[in-house]
Amino acid sequence: MTMASDIKHFGHARWGEVAALLGPAIFLFAAFVVLPFIMAVGFSFTNIKLLQSDHVEWVGLSNYTRMFSLKLVEAPAALIQEQQNPSRQWRQLKRADLATLDGFQYLTDVRLAGSHYLVGARDPQFLRSILNTFLFALLVVPLQCGLAFAMALWVNQKFRGRVGLRTVFFSPVVTSMVVVSAIWGLILHTDAGLLNQVLRAVFGEDAAQPDWLGDPRLAMLSIAIMSAWQGAGFQMLIFLSGLQGISNDQYEAASVMGANAWQKFIYITVPGLKRTLVFVMLSTTIMAFGLFTQVDVLTGGGPRDSTTTIIFHAVRVGFREQDIAYGSAMTLFFFLFVLLLSFGQKKIMERLGS
Amino acid sequence: MPNIVFNAVDKRYEDHLDRYVFKGLNLHLRKGEFTVLVGPSGCGKSTLLRMIAGLEAVSGGELTFDGTRVNELPPVERGVSMVFQNYALYAHMTVYDNIGFGLKILKTPKAKRHEMILHAARQLQLEELLQRKPGQLSGGQRQRVAIGRAIVREPRAFLFDEPLSNLDANLRGQMRTEIAQLHRRHGITTVYVTHDQVEAMTLADRIVALSRKGLEQFGTPDELFDTPANLFVAGFMGTHRMNLIKVDRANGALLHMLTGRDHDELAAAGIGTVGARPEHLELIPGSAANVQLVERLGAESLVHLNMTGTTDAVTVLTTDRLVAFGQGRSLQIAAERLHYFNAAGQRLSPC
Amino acid sequence: MRRSSEGALVAGKLLHVALMVLAAIVFAYPMLFMFAAGFKPSETIFADLGSPTALIPNASWTLDNYRAMFEKGSIGAYLFNSGVVSLVTVVAGIFINSAAAFALAKLKWRGQGVALSLVIGLLIVPFEVLAIPLLLIVSKLPWIDIGTGAVVVGWLDTLHVQFVPFLANAFCVFLFYQFFKDVPDELLEAARMDGAGALTIYLRVVLPVCKPVIVTAAIILFLGMWNQYLWPVMTVHTSQARTVMVGLQQYYGRTTQWGEIMAYASIITLPVLLFFLAFQKHFIRSVVGAGIKG
Repeated sequence: MTMASDIKHFGHARWGEVAALLGPAIFLFAAFVVLPFIMAVGFSFTNIKLLQSDHVEWVGLSNYTRMFSLKLVEAPAALIQEQQNPSRQWRQLKRADLATLDGFQYLTDVRLAGSHYLVGARDPQFLRSILNTFLFALLVVPLQCGLAFAMALWVNQKFRGRVGLRTVFFSPVVTSMVVVSAIWGLILHTDAGLLNQVLRAVFGEDAAQPDWLGDPRLAMLSIAIMSAWQGAGFQMLIFLSGLQGISNDQYEAASVMGANAWQKFIYITVPGLKRTLVFVMLSTTIMAFGLFTQVDVLTGGGPRDSTTTIIFHAVRVGFREQDIAYGSAMTLFFFLFVLLLSFGQKKIMERLGS
Repeated sequence: MPNIVFNAVDKRYEDHLDRYVFKGLNLHLRKGEFTVLVGPSGCGKSTLLRMIAGLEAVSGGELTFDGTRVNELPPVERGVSMVFQNYALYAHMTVYDNIGFGLKILKTPKAKRHEMILHAARQLQLEELLQRKPGQLSGGQRQRVAIGRAIVREPRAFLFDEPLSNLDANLRGQMRTEIAQLHRRHGITTVYVTHDQVEAMTLADRIVALSRKGLEQFGTPDELFDTPANLFVAGFMGTHRMNLIKVDRANGALLHMLTGRDHDELAAAGIGTVGARPEHLELIPGSAANVQLVERLGAESLVHLNMTGTTDAVTVLTTDRLVAFGQGRSLQIAAERLHYFNAAGQRLSPC
Repeated sequence: MRRSSEGALVAGKLLHVALMVLAAIVFAYPMLFMFAAGFKPSETIFADLGSPTALIPNASWTLDNYRAMFEKGSIGAYLFNSGVVSLVTVVAGIFINSAAAFALAKLKWRGQGVALSLVIGLLIVPFEVLAIPLLLIVSKLPWIDIGTGAVVVGWLDTLHVQFVPFLANAFCVFLFYQFFKDVPDELLEAARMDGAGALTIYLRVVLPVCKPVIVTAAIILFLGMWNQYLWPVMTVHTSQARTVMVGLQQYYGRTTQWGEIMAYASIITLPVLLFFLAFQKHFIRSVVGAGIKG
């Protein structure tokens, strides 16, 4: 006499046991991760505000359109001739044509096919934040990964003091970003900061004394350098594990064949690290996109919005300006983007095989 | 102490429901006997053992201990203990706690627990090691702790899953003897899994020979050795593999030399294969076969001979020290030592 | 011939050492500076910045900054808050996450595969997406006040709002899961033969042997909680429940007394650094291991 339960559930754990073990975690995940996520999705389609959770209306995709709405207007010849600055021009145009341009602020101007256009956006800060975030990623990823790679190669050799060096390299990672930001705030101080003093010492008293955090052209770079400094140690460890995964036999066989250090590097080390390299670069990129703390501590998004990132803007809007519907829409956009990146990483890793 | 009966038992795995590991298996293991499950890897012997233990489900049919159905019972309620191939000791506990873990779960009072642990330890010469941790023990000592853990609960049946595979050859022999002595002392029903047919032959009261196709033979070591039920058992049991000579034209001369009959005669009688153990074949002066290889095994030598036309070499165990490569010999064997199998591989009574 | 190659060898070694020192300076200097600056009056910090003697104790070094921190900056209270938040997270988190991983890795039950995929999916969700709705949630949740037994609505400005949402950590679950997968099933089967149920096996058999993972999870959880910034900034506005990182940012924004800021930063970094130095071998080994499997 066969009982279906004999095959299917024999040896299965009792539900009580599973519940006791898995329950707390599942409950916490459901309440504090899944629920907020669903809510965020929901919020993004409404106009809910932080302190007024009643009077909520469904607004469909209007939050999303607000993020990306652009208007292109041809700059009238008259204004160009007067040589006013573009944002002034925009405001004048808006006064003239409130119906179409209401709610749009000046973003930038472009020249296309011989004509001069003024571009306005509903949320120019958001669009700028996308640009800033990309810029940051573009700066920090090569810097941090390159540094980490070099450090890993170095620390992988056998020499005295290697463990100490590895510890020193890694110590910034365990330090809070807030603390790191505070210290670097001091180092990057325009007048008395260490960096500028070093420049003065090396290049003489007339050396350039950049305003690292106050110059809109430099602020993001400064934050990128600081972030690379703090994070490289972590990626260094990932590279180290990748390096240690390359079996020594390959190097020995190459030595027997007469290869020199450079050849060994090119033909054994680099191919062996392909997967690790992809993983490190993509995970650094994903982390870079979430830039928030350093900006919040050091520059507050400035100067002139040059360090506003997607998340910083979303938190500022959603939390400080209380427009949590719009803030949620932005964070969801961020999430989708990160999801795409993660997915892309997975595909590339699969392609690269084992 | 139970007799363990498999009644028309089927076994399938959850993720491969189309493949039957066992179908309609009938097996009756007697009380107090030392039964060995032997067979090549993949034949399901461990699965069979784990079904007795309660670690694997019985897909169909009934498994009973002393007539009581145990299909649904969890291991601890069946009163069986198991010794695992990799010992499976609790690395963070002392030997004392390892042995006593099961008793603690049964809530045995501390004093009684202590007594039982010492009793088990004494039987396995573990008294000195009680405060050590498994990491500080040798392989053989660890195995003894595993056995101690199994016997301390005074189970109704002992189950061993290839317990000696991880030990080196010398230790294996030693432990084999200890296990045999243990059984003699306690007389508890024991089911022992191994792929080593030497272990099977030396330890077993009765052997269950299993192949990928299922149960091949169930009997005493002598029965399996003297009267193997089919080609599988014939080829598997015995220190040296039995010579299995296919009845066909190519082997005609060899068959004639050994049986006195031609291959068509044998075929007509329904005989598909003739079997002859290297231990029973004798080398006599002659030139029917050529010596291809002599493996010196100490007092004896295993001689490989070839006859023109035969498909495989014939192996003969001999104490003749003068046999050498290239020499010619003829073979003979006592008629009652020959094994006959039909075309399907089943044993035929001598004829 | 030989002398020149020997010379080259020595020169090479010296260069290497020099590089090491340079690298160490670049990476360690900011931290060392912070520690040194904590002892200096704020004026001296700027004066010293360019000088090589900046790190060497001298007469002007004082404990005034540290004193001010404890008196004005209420750093003592903040340290206590951070300590409670971090330690509770570590202890509770280890049990909650390892238990979940155990159920996922070693038990058999319906829906196991689905649950595992869900947990892994959680790894991708960035906290920033959840922050705002989570804020709404915690502002409406009830809580039983330990002191009075009364039920209070809303978790803002408390200690528990800073750790309860983070006790279940998908990455830690994953870490434990990978480790448990490597624990031989035979060990659990032996325990089952001994009569142990799933909970006993978890507590007495499996958990005691996963010390390296426990240490790693502890470090990850501790660091995460101690260095946490965004969420405390959003949820805690009063100084009663404030933790050290928010405290530092507040200070940084309000004062130009760099000496005090550096003293503050030193105090809150010291536990982390000491913790790390003590466990670094363990930690580095398991981050490397997690990296391989990641």
